[in-house]
Amino acid sequence: MAKSMNLNAAAGLKGMLKDGFKTYDGLYGAVFRNIEAAKAIAGMVRTSLGPNGMNKLVVNHLEKIIVTSDCASILNELEVQHPAAKLLVLAAQMQDNEFGDQTNFVVSFAGELLKLAEELLKNGLHTAEVVTGYQRAYQKTMEILPTLVVRSIDNIRDAEELKTGIRSVLATKQFGYEDILSDLVVQATLTTLSPTAKVPKLNIDSVRIAKLKGGSLDQSNVIKGMVILRDAEGLIKRAENAKVAVFGCGIEAAATEAKGTVLLKSAEELLNYNKSEERKMEEVIESIAATGVKVVIANGSISEMAQHFLDKFEIMVVKIQSKFDLRRICGAVRATAAVRLGPPTPEEIGECSLVEVREIGGRKVTVFNQVLDEDTTVATIAVRASTENVLNDVERALDDGIHSVKTLFHDGRLLAGAGAVELELARQLKAYAEEDKGLDQYAIRKFAEAFEVVPRTLAENSGADATSTIHALNTAHLAEGGKNIGFNVEDSVPFDAAAAHVYDLYATKFNALRLAVDAAITVLKVDQIVMAKPAGGPKPRSGAQDPDM
Amino acid sequence: MATRETNLINPNAEIVASSQCLMVNVAAARGLQSVLKSNLGPRGTLKMLVGGAGQIKITKDGNVLLHEMQIQHPTAMMIARAATAMDDEVGDGTTTAVLFIGELLKQAERFTSEGLHPRLITEGFEAARDMTLEFLDAFKVPQPKIFHDRETLVNVARSSLRSKLSQDVADKMAEAVVDCVLSIAVEGEPIDLHMVEIMEMQHRQASESTFIKGLVLDHGARHPDMPTSLENCHILTCNVSMEYEKTEISSGFYYSSAEQREKLVESERKFTDEKVKQVIDFKRRVCQAGDNKTFVVINQKGIDPMSLDMLAKEGIMALRRAKRRNMERLALACGGTAVNSFDDVEPSVLGYAGRVREETLGEEKFTFVEDVQQGKSCTLLLRGPNKHTIDQLKDAARDGLRAVKNAIEDAALVPGAGAFEVAAYRMLQRRKSAVTGRARLGVEAFAQALLTIPKTLAENSGLDVQESVIKVEEEQERDEQPVGLDLTTGETFLPAAEGIWDSPSVKKQIISLSTVLATQLLLVDEVMKAGKAMGKPAQDMMDEE
Repeated sequence: MAKSMNLNAAAGLKGMLKDGFKTYDGLYGAVFRNIEAAKAIAGMVRTSLGPNGMNKLVVNHLEKIIVTSDCASILNELEVQHPAAKLLVLAAQMQDNEFGDQTNFVVSFAGELLKLAEELLKNGLHTAEVVTGYQRAYQKTMEILPTLVVRSIDNIRDAEELKTGIRSVLATKQFGYEDILSDLVVQATLTTLSPTAKVPKLNIDSVRIAKLKGGSLDQSNVIKGMVILRDAEGLIKRAENAKVAVFGCGIEAAATEAKGTVLLKSAEELLNYNKSEERKMEEVIESIAATGVKVVIANGSISEMAQHFLDKFEIMVVKIQSKFDLRRICGAVRATAAVRLGPPTPEEIGECSLVEVREIGGRKVTVFNQVLDEDTTVATIAVRASTENVLNDVERALDDGIHSVKTLFHDGRLLAGAGAVELELARQLKAYAEEDKGLDQYAIRKFAEAFEVVPRTLAENSGADATSTIHALNTAHLAEGGKNIGFNVEDSVPFDAAAAHVYDLYATKFNALRLAVDAAITVLKVDQIVMAKPAGGPKPRSGAQDPDM
Repeated sequence: MATRETNLINPNAEIVASSQCLMVNVAAARGLQSVLKSNLGPRGTLKMLVGGAGQIKITKDGNVLLHEMQIQHPTAMMIARAATAMDDEVGDGTTTAVLFIGELLKQAERFTSEGLHPRLITEGFEAARDMTLEFLDAFKVPQPKIFHDRETLVNVARSSLRSKLSQDVADKMAEAVVDCVLSIAVEGEPIDLHMVEIMEMQHRQASESTFIKGLVLDHGARHPDMPTSLENCHILTCNVSMEYEKTEISSGFYYSSAEQREKLVESERKFTDEKVKQVIDFKRRVCQAGDNKTFVVINQKGIDPMSLDMLAKEGIMALRRAKRRNMERLALACGGTAVNSFDDVEPSVLGYAGRVREETLGEEKFTFVEDVQQGKSCTLLLRGPNKHTIDQLKDAARDGLRAVKNAIEDAALVPGAGAFEVAAYRMLQRRKSAVTGRARLGVEAFAQALLTIPKTLAENSGLDVQESVIKVEEEQERDEQPVGLDLTTGETFLPAAEGIWDSPSVKKQIISLSTVLATQLLLVDEVMKAGKAMGKPAQDMMDEE
């Protein structure tokens, strides 16, 4: 029935909107509902926090199976629908985009803030008071945080220092392999740095990861240069100290943009036509060979005729489909991609100390290796692992590691990890709340409590008794010189995180805090939700159920 | 529903008549009022709108809310449309207008329920409106030198933005917004806000949004070897295709040997290559070696990879497929004129920018054309960690720009924070006696309705509504100053001294528009809705699906 004009006053806003709209408002209708959703999502990812965090098996809409403990990946695959939960997911995604790490912290902390806010609201505090309290606590946190820096990495070219910085980042993703992985990451990133630049810049794009199934993780290595996951085209499979020409087009006879038609008047012409084609191609290839080029890289298709002549002149041919890979390989061999087929100019020609096809794990790959100490801009981490899933998970961990190195380049400050920073922030904020006389103190105290979610979760995930652990940790922090005490996930006891070289990155933590607080406050501030009727799309499947579920 | 005459004509029509009709209208207006009420003022709360595809929007801008909510009730829709139309006109005051209309009707209902004819109330409304507008003219503070008074302009922008964004972001944006307007404005001429490009970048945080003296284009050079950062740049804006263009008629080549084909391929390129060579020659003419000048080409049409390659070899940065509106802005920002052909180009067509650089954000590229020469166009760069933050900023930025524009064009301001409403209320109470007959009740209702603004402001700040309004009223009576309500402390203060300003043209619009609409709604005595002529109503069909 179309909506009547007789306004149903009891229906409120809904009475005025188009059919299918849903509205929720007020504390119970909107705020608590939102908090509930945020809590649900935070509770879900929380078990994956830290080195001992559990993995999740996610089957996404394409029935692809993903096993990971990386929060951003879990959330990406989940397709969260609830708007408030989505705000948390968006915050986590932003953290992932900019820093790659600490995404779980964003969601867990925002969830905890909301959970504690719910208690305050139920006790009768106004949302505005909670929000101002949280904001003040956040500002105070930002004041305290710089004072908690325990170490700073100044010489970013020092591999050992970098390694200590990112070890803990990798430990949370692939516990037990952090030494191998941090080694790979540091080696690869340092390779890409320009040795001359005073303030080296790291281009994330120039550190590649090649996933090779088979073998085990400790067989992984860093290759200076590129690894292309395909065979070379022709007969030549190896070239040393070779000149490399890169073509941004295919290696075939040039075609006109306008429609071209071959007009033949006699059989003779037909025979001659093919000959002229051959001759032309031979000329071109010969002229390329004349420049001394031993390896040709093409971005498009390679005609059979061209292949024939390339083999004849003993030129190795590698086809690269992706434009981006082409650009990277240009960086690796220091060549410039030519847009037209023809002999390249000396400036356009690059060099590579070794190009060869190797067979790794039953797969043929072409390796561009700059063995010599040459200034190359690309490094590839060849990852070996038993299954596709492990490979993908290691890849995500490496990505986070590379991002962290980049962050360290900008800001080398480190905080004590293992929940130590959180505990110290909680302690100082509680003291700050004590000083406050107004209503804000309740929210500030809750904000401080929210920090305990990190050590508590670490303890829970390690199988320790959370309550007594938190107590022990808090006591340790009250003592003199106890501000770096964190939770040792291996022995389930308190330990000095800074002394044990367990660090968190300052910049990452800073941004994660900001996003988490932002998301939590936004959720709190919303007092009304207006939802349109979901538009279009297929109806959700019903009936055909997963047999296991 | 009782059968009426109209139903004989169209049995499907739905009719609401006489007193019931008035009730429906009043209820709808008040319903809308109660929806938007919580969003008014700097301490109002937010609403979350979820679109059909799950996209999130978080806002407290009345205009955005009314646009996105898809209101269907006819009366509510009418109010919403009128309020949003006002936003198009002056850029602000949507929420206030909705609240005011609702309150006018609510006050009127008190009298109509006692049997007073709506016509008499409307007469009172009109009389009160005229008095209020007259009073507004006297009340406003003329600011003849506002164009040169940056601080006041920032205050104006801040007052507007704080009601839409969180405080720290609003303060930063206020500065940026004023810089934008001042950069494009010429004293004594109307301001074209289209000359402010609003560009969004999804990264960092909202408070890092800035004013850019120049333009930001949302695409970059498409060649890996082109420079990504240049200084002292000549800017050539052009609308010339630098790629192979197909003939309009069907055409083709006939050849019978590979040599012939190669020649044809070459001849095809020649036309385009010539044009590129012209650009390169021109560049060599204006950029002598050693004078540190660089060259940037911004083309509205395409540039194909080969041409890009040629340009890259010359160290020219070339951008293709620029937006049309940006071409216009580029000319205003950097100087120079856009050319349509490279034949006989003169250095006078070139613009100048101190710095052109490219920034990459994930997959997207942005080109910053900064430190421009002329600067009659500029960019407001919005940053935010996610889409909904940027959307919120964008809507607010528009309103902020409008507020500054209004202030400059009106050359006058009205003290905000409820000061005007309370003062006007007092004025109406005083002059009520001049109105004779039952229309006086209308004036009374109007005066009461004005108070809804300060009342709502107080309510949203968690203050005691009655106490706050009385406090302001008493204070005004005592020393005849434009006193307003400080929403953080709940005490009275002088908004003018704190830099809280409203625009007189917005106030004027609110008062006249709300009165007209309330009057119209009061005078409606029958609402008819034609029945659906064909088959079943749409909703039923959906349910059966």
